[in-house]
Amino acid sequence: MGKKTPEIYSVELSGTKDIEKIDKTDGEKYRGLQNSGVGPGKNHQKEELKKEVALDDHKLSSKELETKYGTDIVKGLSSARAAELLARNGPNTLSPPKETPEIIKFLKQMVGGFSLLLWTGAILCWIAYGIQYSSDQSSSLDNVYLGAVLALVVILTGCFAYYQEAKSTNIMASFSKMIPQQALVIRDSEKKVIPAEQLVVGDIVEIKGGDQIPADIRLLSSQGCRVDNSCLTGESEPQSRSCDFTHENPLETKNIGFYSTTCLEGTAVGMVINTGDHTVIGQIASLASGVGNEKTPIAIEIEHFVHIVAGVAISIGILFFIIAVSLKYRVLDSIIFLIGIIVANVPEGLLATVTVTLSLTAKRMAKKNCLVKNLEAVETLGSTSIICSDKTGTLTQNRMTVAHLWFDNQIFMADTSEEHSNQMFDQSSGTWASLSKIVTLCNRAEFRPGQESVPIMKKVVVGDASETALLKFSEVILGDVMDVRKRNRKVAEIPFNSTNKFQLSIHETDDPGDKRFLLVMKGAPERVLEKCSTIMINGQEQPLDQSTAEAFHTAYMELGGLGERVLGFCHLYLPAGEFPETYSFDIETMNFPTSNLCFVGLLSMIDPPRSTVPDAVTKCRSAGIKVIMITGDHPITAKAIAKSVGIISANSETVEDIAKRLNIAVEQVSKQDAKAAVVTGTELKDMSPEQLDELIANHSEIVFARTSPQQKLIIVESCQRQDAVVAVTGDGVNDSPALKKADIGIAMGIAGSDAAKNAADMVLLDDNFASIVTGVEEGRLIFDNLKKTIAYTLTKNIAELCPFLIYIIAGLPLPIGTITILFIDLGTDIIPSIALAYEKSESDIMNRKPRHKKKDRLVNKPLALYSYLHIGLMQSLGAFIVYFAVYAQEGFTPGTLISLRVEWEKDSVNDLEDGYGQEWTRYQRKYLEWTGYTAFFIGIMVQQIADLIIRKTRRNSIFQQGLFRNKVIWVGIASQIIIALILSYGLGSVTALNFTMLRPQYWFVAVPYAVLIWVYDEVRKLFIRLYPGSWWDKNMYY
Amino acid sequence: MAALQEKKTCSQRMEEFQHYCWNPDTGQMLGRTLSRWVWISLYYVGFYVVMTGLFALCIYTLMQTIDPYTPDYQDQLKSPGVTLRPDVYGEKGLEIFYNVSDNKTWTDLTHTLHEFLTAYSPAAQEANINCTSEKYFFQESFQAPNHTKFSCKFTADMLQNCSGVPDPNFGFEEGKPCFIIKMNRIVRFLPSNGTAPRLDCAFLDEDHKDVQALEVEYYPPNGTFSLHYFPYYGKKAQPHYSNPLVAAKFLNIPKNTEVVIVCKILAEYVTFDNFHDPYEGKVEFKLKIQK
Repeated sequence: MGKKTPEIYSVELSGTKDIEKIDKTDGEKYRGLQNSGVGPGKNHQKEELKKEVALDDHKLSSKELETKYGTDIVKGLSSARAAELLARNGPNTLSPPKETPEIIKFLKQMVGGFSLLLWTGAILCWIAYGIQYSSDQSSSLDNVYLGAVLALVVILTGCFAYYQEAKSTNIMASFSKMIPQQALVIRDSEKKVIPAEQLVVGDIVEIKGGDQIPADIRLLSSQGCRVDNSCLTGESEPQSRSCDFTHENPLETKNIGFYSTTCLEGTAVGMVINTGDHTVIGQIASLASGVGNEKTPIAIEIEHFVHIVAGVAISIGILFFIIAVSLKYRVLDSIIFLIGIIVANVPEGLLATVTVTLSLTAKRMAKKNCLVKNLEAVETLGSTSIICSDKTGTLTQNRMTVAHLWFDNQIFMADTSEEHSNQMFDQSSGTWASLSKIVTLCNRAEFRPGQESVPIMKKVVVGDASETALLKFSEVILGDVMDVRKRNRKVAEIPFNSTNKFQLSIHETDDPGDKRFLLVMKGAPERVLEKCSTIMINGQEQPLDQSTAEAFHTAYMELGGLGERVLGFCHLYLPAGEFPETYSFDIETMNFPTSNLCFVGLLSMIDPPRSTVPDAVTKCRSAGIKVIMITGDHPITAKAIAKSVGIISANSETVEDIAKRLNIAVEQVSKQDAKAAVVTGTELKDMSPEQLDELIANHSEIVFARTSPQQKLIIVESCQRQDAVVAVTGDGVNDSPALKKADIGIAMGIAGSDAAKNAADMVLLDDNFASIVTGVEEGRLIFDNLKKTIAYTLTKNIAELCPFLIYIIAGLPLPIGTITILFIDLGTDIIPSIALAYEKSESDIMNRKPRHKKKDRLVNKPLALYSYLHIGLMQSLGAFIVYFAVYAQEGFTPGTLISLRVEWEKDSVNDLEDGYGQEWTRYQRKYLEWTGYTAFFIGIMVQQIADLIIRKTRRNSIFQQGLFRNKVIWVGIASQIIIALILSYGLGSVTALNFTMLRPQYWFVAVPYAVLIWVYDEVRKLFIRLYPGSWWDKNMYY
Repeated sequence: MAALQEKKTCSQRMEEFQHYCWNPDTGQMLGRTLSRWVWISLYYVGFYVVMTGLFALCIYTLMQTIDPYTPDYQDQLKSPGVTLRPDVYGEKGLEIFYNVSDNKTWTDLTHTLHEFLTAYSPAAQEANINCTSEKYFFQESFQAPNHTKFSCKFTADMLQNCSGVPDPNFGFEEGKPCFIIKMNRIVRFLPSNGTAPRLDCAFLDEDHKDVQALEVEYYPPNGTFSLHYFPYYGKKAQPHYSNPLVAAKFLNIPKNTEVVIVCKILAEYVTFDNFHDPYEGKVEFKLKIQK
């Protein structure tokens, strides 16, 4: 472990040097870091980082430090001086990532998407009015109103989107509420507890086991202090801290404790040398905020879709503007046509619908423990093709658990499931009785008091990971461990240390007839075995001969090969004669035997995989998602866990495996034969980016072990170079650059640091890998359903557009008004399009490959063509039938309508003849025109019901999908009808809205066309199912 | 979140576009090979032919259900509109301004009237019969030639002084102009229960009413629309039908002031109080005669 640290650090914190170097050579590698948008600030940041790394406080003596920071080791800073420093350097907190000001966010919503197009429409309206007004002071205000309505639509949808975004941000804000941290500091010669954020450079702080280190400190004294630097380095092994200068590199020397790392045990006193953003962690965190936050796949898809629609709108608008002008229409009229065309073409309600749809899914995912911070990330997970997962905590339970036992020459398996419910191994042997006693007694871990009602596995334990595992293990099997310990009073103890590599304690026994002391010992198996001369088999002590020693070695190797941490256990009953009850044991002189003990057994521990993970990994496999494990752990352990969860499947081999099987050198093995690969950080360091790309591309099962978090970033970048959508899980501060760099960063809700949560797009509330899989499923479903929603929404645009085109070309009285169009887009169509989000998937979406982000578009050509030119066309025809029926029955037969527009719209014509010779005043015609609008509106609405039903599926028949399975669809249909009823009958008398009461029979005129749409689509789907891959399939499947 | 979109240079984009327009490797034009284009075009042609056919069928069916003589609904035409000749529209409705001494200002107006009355010349009205009944002229069967119904004659001379014959200037020259008021046709519309609808013109403004009432001479006398011109059976049944007219000659228009005159049709089934429709059952116009 100690060996690899230098590499980690050098990679980790000389990150900036790398950047500079690569700046010169190839700009590719740190593209993400450079394109951060920080701009000139970046250089400054780099400089600062470099300066800070050149920290030399660890080399200074206490005296020099005192002078440097103007403090006193015994008395601490004076309060006044501290206040002054606090004012100068700012509080000891990490500055939160720069937030975009709310107003900017709001304005962004106002100009994003279709908003610009609609603003153009609104402004054109006002321009039109201006032209009208300049020529005729009394011109009607219709255009002003329309412009205002359009502006209102933009503002309202903008507000809505802003509100949705703010809501999801708020969830996060409440989630990451931090408990204020306290620090014990010496100031004015007094010990005080102050909030950690008030610490300043030069403060003398005391830390003890369990504390988080409140700032970067230089240790001045230490008693058995060990820290967990995993959040900085990803290394889970505790590291000892002392006040000695042990290494040139400030990050490796033992006399520095880093901000936000935890002190596991012991106590220490240190001087604060860096606070807040100047701390090492602070620098990494600011590095993360420098990694650009770029567009999500769904944002790109929606942008693509907006481009398509806007392109269609603008080109048709301009085309018809030209046509109108060349048909001798007035420019003013042509502008008004242009507005109509824009409004008809833009699905005003769609973006709001998409937001709602995404937030519905986000809610659904939150229920399944995936908290989505960024709404768009909902879909990103669905298109994920590579998941780079952490091991500890995500794939595993993040706690050491006894996995195997070896005694009586046999390996027993222990239950490692989360519940630890049934331990199946044979507990009748006498050896087990002795072993369990050693396990129980030779252990310093204790349950924290006051947890009687908590299940054993969930109790909080004071002690290191292996001792905790042993404590819980024995508690489960034997019952009250503390009671056993009480009955076997401890008289002496040698705690574990790295030179001895064993732990020893001497106890009185609970057998009143037995006055002997019991010496128990555990430790590194080979060390323990050295001290033994006998071995216990079936409860009997037997001499330790060659064969039993060999059996021991085989077992040890086997368990070690499983990636487990193995401990050996032995004991000795001290003869009562030599060691009477009053004997005083001295651990310094070791006045008791520590050899010729009796070996009892081995226990091996592992951080076991979560029980749901193997299943989830299999699901990912079948969903075409590559799962890559990236861990700081030992390759053997990593590989063992990878194998047990299926990241390396049972029948695939690494190059090393093949070499071993064929008994040849590793170099001779053809790389193509190996499906799996286990790569260590050291190997990774020597690889060129091309080699890494090749490695990732050619192996389906990869485990990266012993990697530094910085390397995680390199791996993510390599995956992204292959056009993969990469999900990264992480929990440490140092993971945050990788989390940001990933297409979707997933932070752990329980184990994750705030920095990681900040950088991530999603937070797994239960830290469980399996939750990612449910997220993937939801993400894919939402992509499919968004397709349906968009197809549904686009269809009626043609039915809204055609009237304008016909109006311009054939001169019919306008079939549908701009306001009426808005009532479809923002009224009847909203709930149905949201309802499609509730549609169940048509087939097992987890059995297909992830979508290719550049090929499988949300809105593809068949979707647009089918919606516009097939269904949309039918819809227009159906709506025109209703329109013609209304006009014909009132006296204007279709023939008379053609080229009637000019006369129809003249205010000075109050005796316009219809087909029967009747004469109409302007207002009478206008009212009829509104009836026509209403009729056209109803026509579209009725056919949109059919459209909604056909959009439930893209391939399957509606009858396969079930017409009634999605109840929300029916709510949508009901809402359409009710809104239409209200508009026609309730608001029919409000002239400004241009609705009239429509005769009931007109509601049914378009029904045959609705049926036709349904039948046509069923036929389409039938041919798609019958002839997959055919011409039809390619052109008609969207 | 990572970079998904690489920045492309303009030339790259152009190249891609060219490649899209013509891909020499696969022989694709605009994403499809020639044969694919033919197929897809054929499909669309077929599809649109069928759709057009269906649409034509629908329109045909619709026309079959429609009575050629009477429209199915007349709810928009409950009360006829009223129009004025000469009709000059200003910013807010009809505005007839002229200068007595400057005949250029009113020749257009009289010309409009002459033009309008050509349809009422004896020659134009030849096909119609003379009616004198002063009662509704109900015709249930088609007794006129070519399966039509008879229409009553209305000739310009019925307007007497305002017919343009005795005074081709319609009194404009002397500041006592004639205006012709027409009631819109509505199929099978009966304006009243037996009494003939009558035209009534008056100043709209209160102050003029106080000073003096508008003096009007109506032609035909009493300003009535004879009942035998009703009901109207539609263009197909009465191809030569022409609306009865009433001319109003205003005798005491104050000079050099703008007056607003409203002419209403007084009949039981003609309403003139529709807030939205200024031309229903009445016609309002501004008149200013300068001297």
